[in-house]
Amino acid sequence: MLNEERIILMTKMASYEANEGRRNVAIGRYFRSDYIGWHVLKSIISATIAFVVVFGMYIYYDFEVFMLDIYKMDVLAFVKRILFMYLWTTGIYAVIAFAVYTVRYSRAMRSLKLYHMNLRRLMNMYKS
Amino acid sequence: MTGLLVAKQILVTLYSKYEVYITPILKFILALITLLMINSRLGYMDSIDKMTVVLIVALMCSFMPMNFIVVMAALFVMLHLYAFNLECTIVLGAGFLLMFLLYLRFSPKDTLVVLLMPICFLLKIPYVIPLAMGLIGSPVSAVSIACGTIAYYMLHFVTENVTAILVMDGEEMTVKFKFVVDGILHNRDMVITIVAFAVTVVLVYLIRRLSIDYAWTIAMAAGAVVNITVLLVGDLMFDTNVALLEVVLGNILSLLLAVVLQFFVFNVDYSRTEKVQFEDDEYYYYVKAVPKISVARPEKQVKQINSQKGRSVSRSRSAR
Repeated sequence: MLNEERIILMTKMASYEANEGRRNVAIGRYFRSDYIGWHVLKSIISATIAFVVVFGMYIYYDFEVFMLDIYKMDVLAFVKRILFMYLWTTGIYAVIAFAVYTVRYSRAMRSLKLYHMNLRRLMNMYKS
Repeated sequence: MTGLLVAKQILVTLYSKYEVYITPILKFILALITLLMINSRLGYMDSIDKMTVVLIVALMCSFMPMNFIVVMAALFVMLHLYAFNLECTIVLGAGFLLMFLLYLRFSPKDTLVVLLMPICFLLKIPYVIPLAMGLIGSPVSAVSIACGTIAYYMLHFVTENVTAILVMDGEEMTVKFKFVVDGILHNRDMVITIVAFAVTVVLVYLIRRLSIDYAWTIAMAAGAVVNITVLLVGDLMFDTNVALLEVVLGNILSLLLAVVLQFFVFNVDYSRTEKVQFEDDEYYYYVKAVPKISVARPEKQVKQINSQKGRSVSRSRSAR
């Protein structure tokens, strides 16, 4: 005899597994700190590449002036200023990435918790 | 109205039945339109400005994820620019790279908006995207829309300044580089458009989330009005020469398209709204339930009509 409630629950769970669930299960394999840390690290690398691109374009934009000034300027102070800007930019970007991936992880966990609850409900349905 | 609802129901049923075929076809059409538009606007590299190449790439795109279309579009743009001018390639390439590294990595689903935005600009209806994303997206979509707008204005700058860039051919590389960077960064029109679209997305989103009747319709109308207003205020402040008639007509057309979107996504009957109130151990609930408009699909009645021959045979059988 077909159990309608069980079929509905199984269909919903199968749909979840095929779509949103696949991503959430992948997230669920990580510990919170590993997941967030790994993505923040990737974000820092991205921000570093972006900073290098922007800096390169900034230098190239006024290349002649820069080449003329390089002998007059305090190179150490210039490097310090650039480093300071790099740390600020990357820091802000890393904080944003941290917030985004923290929210993403907790959402995925909440969703997986619901999925496991449904799994238990399904198991109880089979037992009864 | 009932006819439209029945048509919608048929379309939804058809889509769910033949989704496997319809999705690749839609992807193919989108890729084809995108690549043809790129070729018609840029078209500097002869080897990719061919219908056969476009068709093959579009066919590839139809079986790949949606983001592949964006990658192919960016590749086509870069190849055309490379054939035209190296400085433009460097600047636009850096622009695309920054967009990918800093934003699109976070929300790969939104890359479609970045692709659709320049297409809608060319069709003179860019206003439909902020309205649509305000309705079905979130305020974060304003960033995707900004990326799409920047992509369009970068390409627009190149196509509008072809002669100027060609004239500068004898100049130093840094001079040409400076010209392209200045042209893109000091584009006030682009900045005002980005601000107008961001305000529109946020406003439409906030209004459509309100618990008021006809929230979606009010949100769309308010969004269109605010869009026009911000663009005009920007024009007054920075003298960007906004074509008033084009903006108004574009917004009206975009509003109509947003109404079509609403019909498919959020079609409810406010006359049957129910307000219920209940409580449990922890909360009081004040619930407003608005029923969706739906109609039953008319059943096909198959009437069986026997042929003359068959009937005569059956008659002769009964006579026996």
